[in-house]
Amino acid sequence: MIPRRIIPVFLFSHGRLVKGTQFRDHIDVGDPISQAMIYDAQGADELIILDIDATSESRHIPLEIIESMINQCRLPIAAGGGIRSVQDATRCFEAGADKIVINTHAVLNPSLVQELADEFGSQSVVVSIDVKKNKEGVYDIYTHSGRQKNATGLKAFIEQIVNFGAGEILVTSIDNEGTLNGYDNTLYQSLRTDIPVSFIASGGAGCYDDIVNLFNKSDCDACTLGKMLFLRDYDIVRIKSYLTGRKIYVRDA
Amino acid sequence: MMTKIGIINYSMGNIGSIKSALGFYDYDVSVITHPKEIDSLDILILSGVGNFATASERLKKFKFWDKLDEEVTCNEKPVFGICLGMQIFADKGLENGEHAGFGWIRGTVIKMEGEAIRIPHIGWNKITHHEDPLFKGILNNFFYFMHSYHFVPEEKNVEIAWTNYGGIKFVSAVRKKNIMGVQFHPEKSQGDGLRILRNFVEMVS
Repeated sequence: MIPRRIIPVFLFSHGRLVKGTQFRDHIDVGDPISQAMIYDAQGADELIILDIDATSESRHIPLEIIESMINQCRLPIAAGGGIRSVQDATRCFEAGADKIVINTHAVLNPSLVQELADEFGSQSVVVSIDVKKNKEGVYDIYTHSGRQKNATGLKAFIEQIVNFGAGEILVTSIDNEGTLNGYDNTLYQSLRTDIPVSFIASGGAGCYDDIVNLFNKSDCDACTLGKMLFLRDYDIVRIKSYLTGRKIYVRDA
Repeated sequence: MMTKIGIINYSMGNIGSIKSALGFYDYDVSVITHPKEIDSLDILILSGVGNFATASERLKKFKFWDKLDEEVTCNEKPVFGICLGMQIFADKGLENGEHAGFGWIRGTVIKMEGEAIRIPHIGWNKITHHEDPLFKGILNNFFYFMHSYHFVPEEKNVEIAWTNYGGIKFVSAVRKKNIMGVQFHPEKSQGDGLRILRNFVEMVS
C-alpha cells in the first residue's frame, strides 16, 4: 500500500496559530505561514488548516491565509472552517486550497457533502467529525468547534457521508485532543470497517510510540499532529525516521 | 527572449499553486482567461480537478476547446496536463457516461477499481519511469496523487511512467511529441515536483 501520511493540523484563530486541550484553553503557538514553511521543509505529507472561530462567527476561513500558504508551500493543503456552500468552497479552491474540510455544516446539512463531491470530485472533499465519549461509552458528534452536541449517530452519519461522496474522513477525539496521552485507538479500530475511503485519525499524539500504536492497531491512512509539534521537541524528520525504524511505511522525508 | 507560459483558467479548480510553483523558477507565467491570449504563449498548462464531462463542457463554454486543439495538433505548441488536465487528452472518459476528450492521445479514462483498495487514491505514491528527460534529477520518485479515474492509453509508446496502487498498475505520465501529462500533482509534490515542472519547461524551451 501507499505510505501513511503525517499531517500537521493548524488551528487558526484571528490570524494566529493556537493550540488547546480538549478544544479549550487555546494559547498562541505561532505564525501560520512560518510554521507551514517549516513543516513543508521537514517533509510533512500534507497540511490541514482549520479556522476554529469561523462557524460561530458565520463566515468561512479567510482566503488570504490560504493564498499565503499556497504561495509559500509545495505540499497539499486542506482548508476548513465555516464552509457551508458550494460557493464558499469555490472561493477556497480559487484561493488555492487543494481540499476543503467541512465539519459543522456537514452534520447540519449532509447533502452539502454530495453537492461538493459532485462539483469538485470526492478527492477534494474531507469531512471532519469531532466526537466525545458519553457516560454510556457511546461516541456523540459535536459541532461548532466542540461546543454543541448533535443527536446524529456516528456510524449512521459516516455511512451517509460516504454514500454522498466524502473522499476522506477525519475523526477527532475531543477527549484526547491536546492531552499528549495518545490516540483513541479503540475509536479508530471500531470505525475502520465503516470507512471505505481515506481515514485520518486526530487527537492525542504526544510521543513517537503513540503514532506507532495508532498505525499498528487501527490501519488508519493518516494521522494529524498538533501540540506534539508545536509545544514539544519533535520534528517531522525524526518522527518519520522513528516510524521507519518501527516498520511503519512512511515517505522518506 | 523568455519563454511565456500560460495556465488555462477554465474554472476547474485551483491554478494558484501551479502558478506559484512555476514562479519559484522565475518563469514568465500568466493565467489565461481568454482564448485570444494563447497566441502569444510558448507553453500551455492544462490542470483541473473535478469531473471529465464538466471539464470538456467548460473548455467549450469559455471557447478554449477549438483554439487549444488547433494550437496543440496543428502548431504543435507544447502542452503539459496535470491530473484531469492530462485525462482530457484522451479520446473519451467514462465518468458519468461517455464523454469525448481532445483525442490527442488515443485511449480511455476509466474508474480505478479493486477489491482491497480505497478510492479515491489519495496520498503520496511512487512512480517507476522510463529514462526520460522529464524525470532528470528526481530523487525519490514520490508524488502526490488525488483521483478516482485514470488514463488507459491505446498507444503504448506514449507511456513514460507507471504507479501501482494496491495491485492496480496505472499510467502516471504520458508523452507524445509536444504533448506531456502527469496524473499526479507536481505542484504539490515538494522538491521532486518542482523539478518535473522545470524539466518540462527546459525540454520545450
